[in-house]
This record gives sequence, C-alpha cells and structure tokens, in this order.
Amino acid sequence: MSMNQDTENFGQLRRLLKIKRYEQPPPGYFNDFSSRVIARIRLGERGEDSAVIERLLWEAPWLQRIWAAFEAKPVLAGAFGLAMCGFLISGVIYSEKGDVQPVALIPAAESLPSSTEVANVIAENHPLVARPAALEVSSTNAINPFQMDGPLLRTLHAEPAGFQFPIRN
Amino acid sequence: MIMTEPASRKVSKPPDELPAGLEAAPTPVEEVELVKRARKGDLTAYDDLVRRYQERIYATIYHMTSNHEDANDLAQEAFIKGFQALRSFKGGSSFYTWVYRIAVNKTINFLKQRKNKAQMSLDDMDFNAEHDPDLVALISDKTPRREVNLAELQEKLNAAMQKLSEPHRLVVTLHDVQGLSHEEIAKIMGCNIGTVRSRLFYARQQLQAYLSDYLQ
Repeated sequence: MSMNQDTENFGQLRRLLKIKRYEQPPPGYFNDFSSRVIARIRLGERGEDSAVIERLLWEAPWLQRIWAAFEAKPVLAGAFGLAMCGFLISGVIYSEKGDVQPVALIPAAESLPSSTEVANVIAENHPLVARPAALEVSSTNAINPFQMDGPLLRTLHAEPAGFQFPIRN
Repeated sequence: MIMTEPASRKVSKPPDELPAGLEAAPTPVEEVELVKRARKGDLTAYDDLVRRYQERIYATIYHMTSNHEDANDLAQEAFIKGFQALRSFKGGSSFYTWVYRIAVNKTINFLKQRKNKAQMSLDDMDFNAEHDPDLVALISDKTPRREVNLAELQEKLNAAMQKLSEPHRLVVTLHDVQGLSHEEIAKIMGCNIGTVRSRLFYARQQLQAYLSDYLQ
C-alpha cells in the first residue's frame, strides 16, 4: 500500500485530530503572557553564568546532545563522573611515581669548586695575586649575598664625619 | 479563539480546513526590523514578537506534553531563551522557525526527563467544537462507540498521542494539528522531508491502531 493511499485512509483519524485544535488554555491566558515573559527577562531570572552555558549549548549542538543524553540518563552522567574521577586519581598516582629525585641534581652542583676555592688556588700558584677581600666573607648565600660582619660592615659602622662650619662673629 | 496554524504557510498539501480567526502573517520586513531592535535589547520589540507567536508556541508544547502547566512553563522559558540567544540568530531562517526550534528542543529535553511521570492536565474544549461537523459526525450514531462524548474522545486522543515517541508526536502535532508543511517541519526538526513524511505515516498508523475503537 503506498503512502498516498494511506494518506487518504487516514482521513477519519485526521478529523479526530481536529479535536486538538479546540483545546484552549484558561480564558485570558494569553492576555498577559508576553508581559510575564518580559518581566522574567527584566528580572534576569536566569543568571549570567547560566546564560553563557545555555548560549554555549545552543551554539554547539554536539554539546547539547551530550547534555541531553546526561539529562535523559543520569546513569550515563554518573558513569562519566566516575570515569573522570578515575582519570584524575590515576593521574595523581602516576605523577607521584614519576617524580624526579631532586637530590640527584645536588651532588652535581656541589662537586663544582666554589669561587673561594678557585681564588685560593690561584693565589697559591701566583703569589702576586692577592686574595680578594670580598671573597674572605665566607658565609654568604643567595638570600643574603653580603655578610655584614666583615670589613664592609666595619666601614659602615665607622664614625661619621663631622662637619662643622666656622662660626662668624 | 483557536490557537493553531502557522502564519506563513507554504503548505504543499494543505491539511483539512483550518479554523478561522487567525492572526495575519507578519510581513518579513516587519519581523526583521523587530528582530533587529530586539537584538539591541529593545524589550518592546521582543514583546511584539512574543505576542505574534505565543499561541502557536504554547499550542505546540501543549500538544506535546498534554499538560497546561508544563506548556506554560516551557513556552515562557522558550521565549526567554530566545531573547538570550538572539545574538546567535544569524537570520538564515525566519525568527518564527528559529524560536520554534528552541521550543521544540526544550520540550523534547523536558519530555525525556519526565518519562514515565506523565500526567495529563488538559485544556478545556472550545465551545465551537460541539458545532464542528467532523466532530459531530464522530460522536453521532454512526460512531462505533455511540455513547462516547467529546471530553472522553479528547482524553483518549491525548492518551494515544502520549504513547507515540517524541519525534512522531511532534510530526503529527505540527502537521495534522498545527497545519505546518512538510518543508517547515523539516526545518524545525533539522531533518529532511523524507524523514518527516515517513515519521508522519508511521505515527498515523500507530494512532489509528490505538484509536480503532473510535474510528469507523
């Protein structure tokens, strides 16, 4: 039986479906329908964040389909959540296992002679070369590059010069 | 007032004569201007657009859900979402098709969530229904179930509609109740005309089987 023949045969059903056209909401329902919509828009009933999400969903149909699937089947959403948790946990475990030992790098740095040692060796081999005064300060570090107990501190703590202007009578 | 029938019909196969007293179709120029203003945040223009399509959008959702309260909420939300997403409206289709798509997507998502929790809250029948010759014929002596009245017929029809899958119910609603053409339905549903036709055929077959007691 062709589709067109069936269309003719559905005449009775289509007449019955006319009932639906006579179903009406309560009287006056549409009088203030648009006002209610506009009022809700004005109130910004939906926050900006949700509007951004909705817009994103609207502009990306594949995301909308995923979202709809999650809404329709909460089990799917749960499974996705579990999979994400598993992924996160395995990531954490993997990153802990794969950590490089920072100690391994330190000996290499320590094995290099310090600048003081280098200066001493040069001074021993070449007596004419004086040991630099700054290098005598041994306890400097990256945070406190100048140790304030050497000659530099003594200079700073020296008596201030006195300036006296001659008094004119 | 009867709340069906699209304004701009390019009906290839006109459905049975549709109820009179419908709004005049908005001219495209008018609509384009209103959309332009609404996009700039002009709520008066958007109010105009809502007024133009509120009855058709409500009716589509109502026929899909068979529940007035749900239809009320969903219709309002569809228009609110329409306003919020207006910036993404490229004008490739008419505003009417576009807002219809929003409403249809929203309704289908809602129905998927509501599955198995459907509860009918039907709108009242318009007084004119009692004078419709087709409906009078259906409840006349010639009807197999002669004791049937209009309210019962309405309930049975809605129950049968709810047994259809959402895409099939939507096609019947848009074509046989709302009077949209296959082309318009294809645009709204985002599928081709062949799919619309085959869905309509299958849906009618199903309905005819469910309602065999009430059809000659």
